[in-house]
Amino acid sequence: MLFYALARASYSRNLQYRASHLLHNIASALFGFIYLSIWTGIGEGRDLGVYGLAGLVSYVALNQCLLWITAFSSFGLGIPALVRTGAIATELARPVHLFYNMMSREWGNLWYQALYKSFPIYMLYVLLIPLRFPSSLTNAAVFIAAVLGAAYLSICIQYLIGAVSLWTTESHWLHWLNHAMFTLFSGFLIPVEWLPGWLGAFSRWSVYPCLQYIPARIYLGMDGASALLPSLFWCAFLTVACLAVTRLMRFRTEVQGG
Amino acid sequence: MMIRDVKDMVKMYKLLIRFSIRSRMQYRFNFWTGSFIAAFIAFMEFALLAVILSRFGTIQGWSIAESAYLYSVLTLSKSIYRTFASDVHHLEQYLVSGNLDGLLLRPLPVLLVLMTQNVSIRFGELLLGFGMLAYSLGILAGKGQIELWSAIPLTLLISLNGALLLFGIALATAATGFWLTRISMLQNLTEDATHTAIRYPLTIFPGWLKGVLTIGLPVAFVNYMPALYIVRGEAGPWILALSAAASAAVVGAGALLWRTGMSRYQSTGS
Repeated sequence: MLFYALARASYSRNLQYRASHLLHNIASALFGFIYLSIWTGIGEGRDLGVYGLAGLVSYVALNQCLLWITAFSSFGLGIPALVRTGAIATELARPVHLFYNMMSREWGNLWYQALYKSFPIYMLYVLLIPLRFPSSLTNAAVFIAAVLGAAYLSICIQYLIGAVSLWTTESHWLHWLNHAMFTLFSGFLIPVEWLPGWLGAFSRWSVYPCLQYIPARIYLGMDGASALLPSLFWCAFLTVACLAVTRLMRFRTEVQGG
Repeated sequence: MMIRDVKDMVKMYKLLIRFSIRSRMQYRFNFWTGSFIAAFIAFMEFALLAVILSRFGTIQGWSIAESAYLYSVLTLSKSIYRTFASDVHHLEQYLVSGNLDGLLLRPLPVLLVLMTQNVSIRFGELLLGFGMLAYSLGILAGKGQIELWSAIPLTLLISLNGALLLFGIALATAATGFWLTRISMLQNLTEDATHTAIRYPLTIFPGWLKGVLTIGLPVAFVNYMPALYIVRGEAGPWILALSAAASAAVVGAGALLWRTGMSRYQSTGS
């Protein structure tokens, strides 16, 4: 199966840098401790709503683990580099759809990051913080479905950013813009319902809560399977957008190198 | 070194900086788009802090105006440092590609040449930094917490001092690249993580982290420590001298590490 072969190749390539990536986890875990300290500092003696201090600590810690699956996918799925070298022409000419091709590779990358980055940080937090476990097996299964949806959405977003590199050399700014929007609107550090006025409204109608807020609330047992509906909608919408953009890419391709 | 040599060096440095800025400005649209988005990103990061503060009022006694002060000094310091030493932060690319070899041939110290590469004034972040500073100082002066005539020049001074300190840490981190080659992971720790931490008052962190941020990598002297005197009045003017000493020590250590590293440099590129 092509999907498996591409994903596995990407996973195996990453395995070569295992030791370096495990060291990288120290930095990532430290970021998490900084965010946890912020909430511990704010939360002491204050009402933190349905979360409570312990719940909010778990929420933030879990979000830090999820980043490697839902936020740190490859910049433009590698498409900007392909445009730069001209290799995109070859990729578009292959007898496999470009979106399927790039997506399959990225799944391998995300699977690697889940195993060697998210999971070790998760275990560290379980031991040190402690981060709560899901309340039931059903809860855990719905959470995994939410994370898979979030990973797929993250792939779609990066594919769209990568596609833009065919028309501008500045697609990396879109990547950073997406990262900035993610920071505020995904609920990664502050739950979405605490965002005031139009910020909260914008966040709720955007794709970003599907990446962190929804999976984290499901994990904490605050929401059930019905919370996955927005994720399903965005998965369908972004899939159509990715297919449409690929049609545009095939219509006229300009490369920077070659 | 003769005074004339130093003068020639400064002249050459200015010339290279002018060339660097001119080359960046050949792509004006890219330049301004980049500046706008960089400011937007910094603003979104501050918005996160502002949302937390607007909901909870204070963070361990630090109001939104005081926190904005911490944030603005960090933004200004970082913008100044990255304007003049952007490629010190990007040394890894030079080491991996072997492009550092080309810089060794220039008639200036390698560090100085590196600092003339990709010089780009960070208008967006500077504008945001000054904007937040104006907001913060305006509120604090309105409450009678500070005197503007002393707070403004002192803030500009500590921003410059902060830029030096951040540069020193970046230099020391970059210098380890002469042994390790790949330094992005280390930069993640010494620069990204520490910069994130000092957006918030130091008091919220546990003891070990306070120790790291004050003694190990003394980034607390960029904004928090000077703010204790300028904004909060909880420390004497001696803390400004201590901040300057911290910068001098960090830059000195960075320079020493750089010099040792340079003497061991072996090209890695093809």
